[in-house]
Amino acid sequence: MRSAPWRTRATLSLVAALALTAAACGDDSSPSATQPAPSGDRTLRISAIPDQDPAKLVEINSAMATYLAAALGVKVEYVPVSDYAASVSLFRAGDLDMVFFGGLTGVQARLQAPGSTLLAQRDVDDAFRSVFIAGTGSGVGPMTDVAGLAAFKGKRFTFGSESSTSGRLMPEFFLDQAGVTSERDFTGAPGYSGSHDKTVDLVEAGSFDGGALNAAVWDRRKAAGTVDQTKVVEVFRTPPYRDYHWIAGPRTDERFGAGFAEKAKAALLALDYANPEHTRLLDLYSAKKFIPTEAGHYREIESIGRKLRLIS
Amino acid sequence: MTTRDLTDLTEHEFGLFTGPDGPGDAGDGGDRGDGGAARGRRRRPGHRRAARWWLVGLAAAVGWSLWSAGVGRQEVVNSGGWTVMGRFWRAAVSPELSSGFLRLTLDATLVTVAFAVLGTALAVLLGLVGGVLTSETWWRRPGAGRTGGTGRRRDGLRPGWFVGRLANGLPRGVHEAVWGLFLVSILGRDPMVGVLAIAIPFGAVTAKVYADLIDETARGPYEALRAAGSGRMAALAYAVFPVARAEIVSYAFYRFECSVRSAVILGMIGAGGLGFQLNLSFQSLRYEEMWTLIYALVAVSALADMWGARLRRRASPGRVKASVVAAAVLVVASVVKLGPDVGRLVSAQTRRLAAEIAASAWPPSLPVDGWAGLIRRSLETVQMSLLAIALASALAVGVAFVAARGGGGPARRVAAAQARAVLLLTRAIPPPVWALLVLFVVFPGPLPGALALGIYNFGILGRLMSEVVENLDPRPALALRALGAPAVSAFAYATLPMSAGRFAAYALYRWEVAARETVVVGVVGAGGLGRLLEQQRAAFDYSAMVGTVAALIAVSVVIDLVSAAARRSLR
Repeated sequence: MRSAPWRTRATLSLVAALALTAAACGDDSSPSATQPAPSGDRTLRISAIPDQDPAKLVEINSAMATYLAAALGVKVEYVPVSDYAASVSLFRAGDLDMVFFGGLTGVQARLQAPGSTLLAQRDVDDAFRSVFIAGTGSGVGPMTDVAGLAAFKGKRFTFGSESSTSGRLMPEFFLDQAGVTSERDFTGAPGYSGSHDKTVDLVEAGSFDGGALNAAVWDRRKAAGTVDQTKVVEVFRTPPYRDYHWIAGPRTDERFGAGFAEKAKAALLALDYANPEHTRLLDLYSAKKFIPTEAGHYREIESIGRKLRLIS
Repeated sequence: MTTRDLTDLTEHEFGLFTGPDGPGDAGDGGDRGDGGAARGRRRRPGHRRAARWWLVGLAAAVGWSLWSAGVGRQEVVNSGGWTVMGRFWRAAVSPELSSGFLRLTLDATLVTVAFAVLGTALAVLLGLVGGVLTSETWWRRPGAGRTGGTGRRRDGLRPGWFVGRLANGLPRGVHEAVWGLFLVSILGRDPMVGVLAIAIPFGAVTAKVYADLIDETARGPYEALRAAGSGRMAALAYAVFPVARAEIVSYAFYRFECSVRSAVILGMIGAGGLGFQLNLSFQSLRYEEMWTLIYALVAVSALADMWGARLRRRASPGRVKASVVAAAVLVVASVVKLGPDVGRLVSAQTRRLAAEIAASAWPPSLPVDGWAGLIRRSLETVQMSLLAIALASALAVGVAFVAARGGGGPARRVAAAQARAVLLLTRAIPPPVWALLVLFVVFPGPLPGALALGIYNFGILGRLMSEVVENLDPRPALALRALGAPAVSAFAYATLPMSAGRFAAYALYRWEVAARETVVVGVVGAGGLGRLLEQQRAAFDYSAMVGTVAALIAVSVVIDLVSAAARRSLR
């Protein structure tokens, strides 16, 4: 937050006129999307798509900000964003310098902001998975291969956020392989719950017979015991595909000096699980290391995106 | 001011012209006071027949909407979802109260208030300029069409008047969330996005209201000044503004209450403040955090509400002046808090992004399934809004009489306070949250979206209607009671008929707003044009978004026409 202490005090005393009870304020770490970056500053703004618990995102990205600040010698700030499409728009507008996008949003971001640089993936992003879940009363049971997904025909089905790779795009891809077309074969229109967690709860409630989400979120929910497994169960885990990746915007070199994007890439790849200083950061990312990546890895995602008209 | 205000105001929400001393006093049917009563009696038979036909039409339309939503044809209630929904309500008693989260909530609250303050201030500024420029008074040729009183003759008006009125329609027809989505693509991460997204549509609404205020102010002094050779601006400044000032200020404060709610919706699309935090907590279903934020929102809405209500009820010059000073202070504080970068509006990057988006948005295109798809979704939007308003009105009419302030013993007062709290809560919880909660227990489709909007609008309509009840002339009911009529009869024959017209007028206004609001429940799979817009946004398909927004505007124009016709024939 930008507000200097005197400003905060002034604001508070004024708002007291509105009879709002004012407690201590001036928390400099509270996230907000409202503060503009003064033009010409040298703060690297990093962000991530809102694919999980915001508190967790703050923790992960604050750790990454600290690491990058030390490794790159610039000030780094984490900017939380509450919407997948908005994060792409802000990246395009140059308000976010480095973003940990999902597979689809990454492709969209590179198409919207030509000249962006692909930086790195996590090792786990090389083999990412989605799970299909179903209500226990839905009549859809565990299946052994992709073809089994045909069991969802005639059922009520929900995806997560529309632009989510693991909650929408790849599930559509595997459903398609099983001969299921989402617009045609479900009862009613397919739902877009908005997030992986909402998908779980809506299927558990029985509002939808089935849903698809990020396998990592499902595993976390099961481990935390926040899902009633007498009501909703996993019926299929998809084959692996490539997902999340870091991208730097087209103006990073211009703003931070030539070769900056390459330096950032090297800094990510230099993270070493054996180095005790890096262990916690990698643990937060549920990864052992970051690995190089290339545009060719996302051709499939791009072509599915085009087919679903998520990329035009 | 006369009944004309009620017919011509096409605002998002209004509740201004209901003060007992205010000009809205004439009531909706002109049936208050002796002359009005006489007129009302003379007109009654036709009036009743029209009302009956409108009711039949309404019932048919609601039935058609329900049928389309699957009611009676398939299972709509999902009883399995109550336990999941219960988690949300149980969290109401254990909101997140850790000091870190409270600090965050306080800061988010200040941001929301700042957005609302600046958005309103700019809207009022736009409204004053636009109001003058779209008033008949301004465009009338001196001496022409001098009909006096409420006689409405268009002759003597310059073409500029028509252009102004036409230009005013577009910004009003688009929901502020849509403005926000559009502006964030151009202005990026700047508070100006939130401020402008409130100011543009609300500015247009305010301009409309102010234009009517100016036109309704007795024109004699203005004409006299003009005839004496004074300029239009000077004549307005000396002959019109001093008279209309209290109303202008009072309406500005009313607009502020609406802006607080809008700032929250804007937050849900990423502009910051309580809505933004609410959305972050909503994504991962952290209900305890959501409740903390909701309570903060209830507190702010209640304060804004009280401020506006006190000003409306007793708009003494001193009070108006104090409020204006307080507002000026708040504006300065809000600028300091948000630090909007006005330079961004004209920066090279903004121009580049705007040009790029304009290029990819033109020409507008149809959705994947063409005209058929657009029309089907437009109908779905109309149906959703119709169901929402039918539900909201039915609930609100019942609660309004309970929630109205004044009179009665302690039990009555407690009940009233509770009813007002319920109304406050229902309108403080944003429609997308209502949509998810309803979706837990109602199978997906247009119905959950309609119910969510119905509950939300119940909070708003209930408040507006209870204000109508508070401002009713108590004498007819007292007279009946004095003659020995039981309380129920006094209510049925005196209170109810007097309020019915205004209730209908409010419901009809909210209908148009509800149609625009379907955009914000589209995000949870509720169907209609909002759903479509969300899909197109996820795909950055700007040309199709323009097509969908055009359809949304067309829908609100049609609704506006229908509701204007209904109001006319009910008068």
